[in-house]
Amino acid sequence: MTEDEHTTEPLIKLRGVVKTYGEDAAEVRAVGGVDLEIKAGGFVVMLGPSGSGKTTLLNLIAGIEPPSAGEIRVDGVDLAELDEKERTRFRRESVGLIFQFFNLIPTLTGSENVELIAELTGNGNRTREMVRRVGLAERADHFPSQLSGGEQQRIAVARALAGAPRLLLGDEPTGALDLETGRTVLRLLRDVSTELGQTVLLVTHNAVIARIADRVLRMRDGMIVSDEANPDPLPVEDLEW
Amino acid sequence: MRRQRGQFVAIGVTIFLGVVLFGASYDAYRNLESSYKEAFAELRFANLTITGGDTKSIAGTARRAGGVDHVSTRIQADLPLQAGRTKLLGRIVGMPANAQPSVNRVSIEAGDYVSPNQPRGVLIEQHMAATFGITPGDAVTTLDASGVPHRLRSIGTAASAEYFWPAPSRQQIFVSPDDFGVLFVPEPLAGKLAGLDGPNQVVIHYSGGHDNSVLTRRLTRIANRDGAADVMTQAQQPSNSALQEDVSGFGELAVLFPLLFLTAAALATTVLMRRLVTAQRSTIGMLRAEGFSRGQLLRHYLSFGLIVGAVGGILGSVSGVLIAGPMTDAYTRELSIPISATAIRPATIIVGVAFGLITGAIAAALPALSASRVAPAEAMRSYSPTKGGSISLLERIAPPLRRLPARWRMTLRSLGRNRRRAFSTASGVVLALVLILVSWGMVDTVQILVERQFGQIDRQDAELTYQDGVSAGELEAVRRTAGVDLVEPALNASVELAANGERYQTDLVALRRDTQMHEFLLEGGGSTTLPKHGLLAGEALRGKLGIKAGESIRADAPALGIDERSAVEGFLAEPLGTLVYTTLASATRASSGSIGDGNSALVRFEPGVNRDQMRRRLSRLPGVSAYQDSVAIQSAVDQYLGLFYVFVGMMLLFGGMMAFALIFNSMTSSISERRIELATLRASGAPHGMLARLVTAENLITVLIGIAPGLIAGYAVAALFMASFSNDQFSFDLEMRLSTLVLSAIAIVIVALISQIPALRAMRRINLAEIIRERAS
Repeated sequence: MTEDEHTTEPLIKLRGVVKTYGEDAAEVRAVGGVDLEIKAGGFVVMLGPSGSGKTTLLNLIAGIEPPSAGEIRVDGVDLAELDEKERTRFRRESVGLIFQFFNLIPTLTGSENVELIAELTGNGNRTREMVRRVGLAERADHFPSQLSGGEQQRIAVARALAGAPRLLLGDEPTGALDLETGRTVLRLLRDVSTELGQTVLLVTHNAVIARIADRVLRMRDGMIVSDEANPDPLPVEDLEW
Repeated sequence: MRRQRGQFVAIGVTIFLGVVLFGASYDAYRNLESSYKEAFAELRFANLTITGGDTKSIAGTARRAGGVDHVSTRIQADLPLQAGRTKLLGRIVGMPANAQPSVNRVSIEAGDYVSPNQPRGVLIEQHMAATFGITPGDAVTTLDASGVPHRLRSIGTAASAEYFWPAPSRQQIFVSPDDFGVLFVPEPLAGKLAGLDGPNQVVIHYSGGHDNSVLTRRLTRIANRDGAADVMTQAQQPSNSALQEDVSGFGELAVLFPLLFLTAAALATTVLMRRLVTAQRSTIGMLRAEGFSRGQLLRHYLSFGLIVGAVGGILGSVSGVLIAGPMTDAYTRELSIPISATAIRPATIIVGVAFGLITGAIAAALPALSASRVAPAEAMRSYSPTKGGSISLLERIAPPLRRLPARWRMTLRSLGRNRRRAFSTASGVVLALVLILVSWGMVDTVQILVERQFGQIDRQDAELTYQDGVSAGELEAVRRTAGVDLVEPALNASVELAANGERYQTDLVALRRDTQMHEFLLEGGGSTTLPKHGLLAGEALRGKLGIKAGESIRADAPALGIDERSAVEGFLAEPLGTLVYTTLASATRASSGSIGDGNSALVRFEPGVNRDQMRRRLSRLPGVSAYQDSVAIQSAVDQYLGLFYVFVGMMLLFGGMMAFALIFNSMTSSISERRIELATLRASGAPHGMLARLVTAENLITVLIGIAPGLIAGYAVAALFMASFSNDQFSFDLEMRLSTLVLSAIAIVIVALISQIPALRAMRRINLAEIIRERAS
């Protein structure tokens, strides 16, 4: 794919994506036919109540699980065509993930957590830079249990960025944080989007966070019910919840 | 329990194996004791056997002694036998021709008891009959005391408590069935063959058959006063002594091995229960918040251990006692013991179930207690890494390890992450190695010591016995026989040694001073040659007579006319028997020249000869009354070890299963505990193969940590166990081949690799999306 194609083709393209769990009477339709396009470089927030299907959709875009039907293209790759091994490789090379509860390896220090993914993706030299970017150069040699929740999530962001992914996905990244530390993490994510041109897609039930996004998607019952651009995102400092 | 059924099943199986082993081996042990007791009672096995002296007087005194219920006198003599073309060492035992003796009766296995109507009809001891296929009506030949051959007719086959294990003496516990046989002959014929006018042995049976040390001491004093050459208690009787060692070893294993299994099961249960309690911490907090008492929670979690203990215990107990019967039958059949007393003992079942319950309860107690102490507030807490990480011990010891890739540092640190679990895995390895090495150590010891005895110490290929002494001409005839490389005269005679008020009956072996047929291995290491004067003796003699090297003892060998004081110049480390050695020159001098060139010829063959052919050629030579093949003795030992190999194979299997259960549980708990971390790494693109390698490496390091102490502990326990077998009959100090240690360690590593397969499979099956959804909710 050429540079031009990158600029014209959306980074994420979903067509008629369906995800169901269970069979027959026990079948649950978590995602029910979603069409979506996201261009590279934006900061997108997907809102929705619990059970709306937003985490499932995030997992589908991340290549964590395959769709039951439809087409998912990320960076030109049709995820529905990939087998488990190829999806693993796709995640390694193209996706950075941030989880609500940080999911750091407790036996590794902050910087080692970052290093682990940097090594895995062949970007071992990015560790120090990423740790510095999240502002934890001084605390990076501490183990997760010695870090606050906000610090842990910042390390998680650094870890997600360590592999130089095309796409940064966050699943309720501030869900376990208080207002101040939540703001710090959001500022960080907003900055990497703005400064590095990193595509960021966050899913959250916290509608306030949508105010800092370039684009806001709303989900309900497995469908995207609204898709709005936000031409004037609020500075993170102004967020209150 | 349903969610962790694999782990609970593994624990249940371990408890089951422990209890089965206990039930089967303990009941088999008790059955064997009963079988012996019943057989001894039925056959009125002598409590005391007195040889030589004034038998009439000794018997008369014994009959009058309180506590004695039967006394019998008889003739016993060692005379050469010939069965078919095979010449062998033989023993004739006189029996009353009209009825069974009152002591040391025999069980007729085939044919009839001796009868006055068949004065040349004899009973063949069952092992000899089986070896040579002798059935009633067949002929056997014996030489009388003057060397005249007598053709006798078998009228039956008999089992005797004196020969359940057919050993001619305490010094010769292992003999080939080709080399030794016993005939029970009518008393008048026995006198004629032995050249004796009257009985030379008194056999005494105590009331109820029970040993009575006071009575034994009293009768021994009387026997010694009346000139007895040897007084032997039931415990010292060669066959009984060898079998009792065997049975008591069995009894020790009946406790030791189950203990290992139950400890392993307890460790596995603790690991699993701790994991369960940790995983259910918030649920426990919620239950506490809703009013569940600590006692209720304690009982709830304790019940997990009790249920698995009860299931394993009940199934194990019942299976154990059911197996014990056939085990006893197999053992008594193998040793041709006529009575196999099997019984189902309710006490064993109860104790087995109690073992299972206690194991489960002890193992679950701490985790259950910990569950009961969970505060209600735990229910409100979300996940966070509460356990602090730290640099691993290995990285501290070897700082360059800190430069390893992050994933390998993660592996090193995971070892210390859950120390109890790592300890449990390593302990499982230790326990399994103890089990394996104790079993394998027994085989190694016997094999190595037998090889030493018949390869290094006894250098002859065969020993020819000459009843009337061997002459220079006869030695020359042996030397000229095709296939013979070397021949030397030797002398074997019964001798009584005495010092410090203690007496010990053994065999005196006289050899040339420059003998090439025997290597004298010193107890401290190294070897020596026969001293010009004095004796060399087996190391057990030091304790038996309370003597030190250089001290004099009295040696009395009536058959040689020797009765003199000799110095013991050194003690020998010989695995079999406690013999005394001197030079032929010294023996001849002490006997005033009456023994000539000795009474046997030690022969070494040329390489590659056919041993059966040599047996035939040499047995035909004039004057040869018996033939003993050293290799045949080794084969007999190997045959005896056949049972051991089965036993060791089973223990290897059981040890493997035990290690499997523990490592499987540890691994499964470990993967389960790190499910989210592993899922995170998988979600971040870590390939399954890489994670499997990391987990495998972590597991193997834990196993390797357990291997070193396991080998040491296994060796130590095996040494203790073997030491319990050492006495004057055999000195079985532990010998273990390096290959045994290496192979045991490899076996454990293989088991470890196999036992992690289910956990690795589970890891592959981790549903990333589900875990992420669980976390999100």
